[in-house]
Amino acid sequence: MARVMDHYPKLERFEHPNIVTTTADLVFNWARSRSIFPFTYGIACCAIEMLSSGFARFDIARFGWEVFRPTPRQCDLMIVAGTVNEKMAPVLKRLYDQMSEPKWVISMGACATSGGPFYDGYNVVNGVDKIVPVDVYIPGCPPRPEALFHGMLQLQKKIQKMSFVAPRIDEGDELALASLRGEGERAIAPAGQTDGRLPTNAAESQEVQ
Amino acid sequence: MGIEIGAVKLTLDELGTRLQGEFGDDLVDLRVQEPDTLVARVDRHKLHAVAAKLKGLGEIAYDSCNFVAAVDYVTHLETVYHLYSYSTNTYIELHVEIDRNNAVCDTICDIYPAANWHEREAWDMMGVRFEGHPDLRRILLKDDWIGHPLRKDYVDLVENHPNV
Repeated sequence: MARVMDHYPKLERFEHPNIVTTTADLVFNWARSRSIFPFTYGIACCAIEMLSSGFARFDIARFGWEVFRPTPRQCDLMIVAGTVNEKMAPVLKRLYDQMSEPKWVISMGACATSGGPFYDGYNVVNGVDKIVPVDVYIPGCPPRPEALFHGMLQLQKKIQKMSFVAPRIDEGDELALASLRGEGERAIAPAGQTDGRLPTNAAESQEVQ
Repeated sequence: MGIEIGAVKLTLDELGTRLQGEFGDDLVDLRVQEPDTLVARVDRHKLHAVAAKLKGLGEIAYDSCNFVAAVDYVTHLETVYHLYSYSTNTYIELHVEIDRNNAVCDTICDIYPAANWHEREAWDMMGVRFEGHPDLRRILLKDDWIGHPLRKDYVDLVENHPNV
């Protein structure tokens, strides 16, 4: 009877079926960090760099990240590649919520990180981290594909530190317990809540009302 | 520069003279802007009739609406219509002065369907209300945005930035 190793000469060092012992963390993190499905979420000129990362010259497939998906339900990673404006913000939040766990966010470029050159724009969200939790920030305007790869490798390192082991929670640690119950999330600030941004305009808006 | 209309050759000035003859006082202060544009002011109550007539001029008809703009001159607002004629390869610019505090203008999107979204944008950014528009919603900003941001006296309210 032909054995598998007859067809795969590189396996010859195994004479018998083998068992490799390791941690579940290592196996899952190894798989997760090397087969990320990014979400096709190009919303400005950074998207051009993100797309060129995918093509042959830079070739994101070298890292196993090339499976861009147009639906959030099949994605692990949202690369926010561009300016997020106020009209896009609730859509972005909703798409992020539709992604399945575990999920990560890369903020690509100056706009997604802080508003960038459009910081003072009336319709610009000054940083996507106001809406979704960001794992890696990539500076640049726009960042080159190499910068995106560097950010991806940083995210890989971050993923490889994830663990299945539940953190130990002490008896009286109310903050951690609340976090476990899902109470740690901050709701979107209600309309009219002032917070120091646009200080002069905030004063004027009081007058208007 | 000659403009060819069928067998007739016209200069831009001759075309302007012909339009002035067709419209009379409806086209105020008609002037030539080389190389291919005529510029005129139009009263806001006559705009709809002028646009309809421009589209139905036959061999020199202005059959395409390229752009609808709005300008804030602080003392007043102005809507600007860029119409194009495929047959003569010329443009005509119609400047319509409107009141700043009661910014109302007639729609032309029943004549030029292309003006539909342009008028929505002018409403969104400048707050010009186009009477007779079938669907005058905001087009670029959120539906619940307060104010019209390209007005010179626009004040950005924190209510417009719920995520900050």
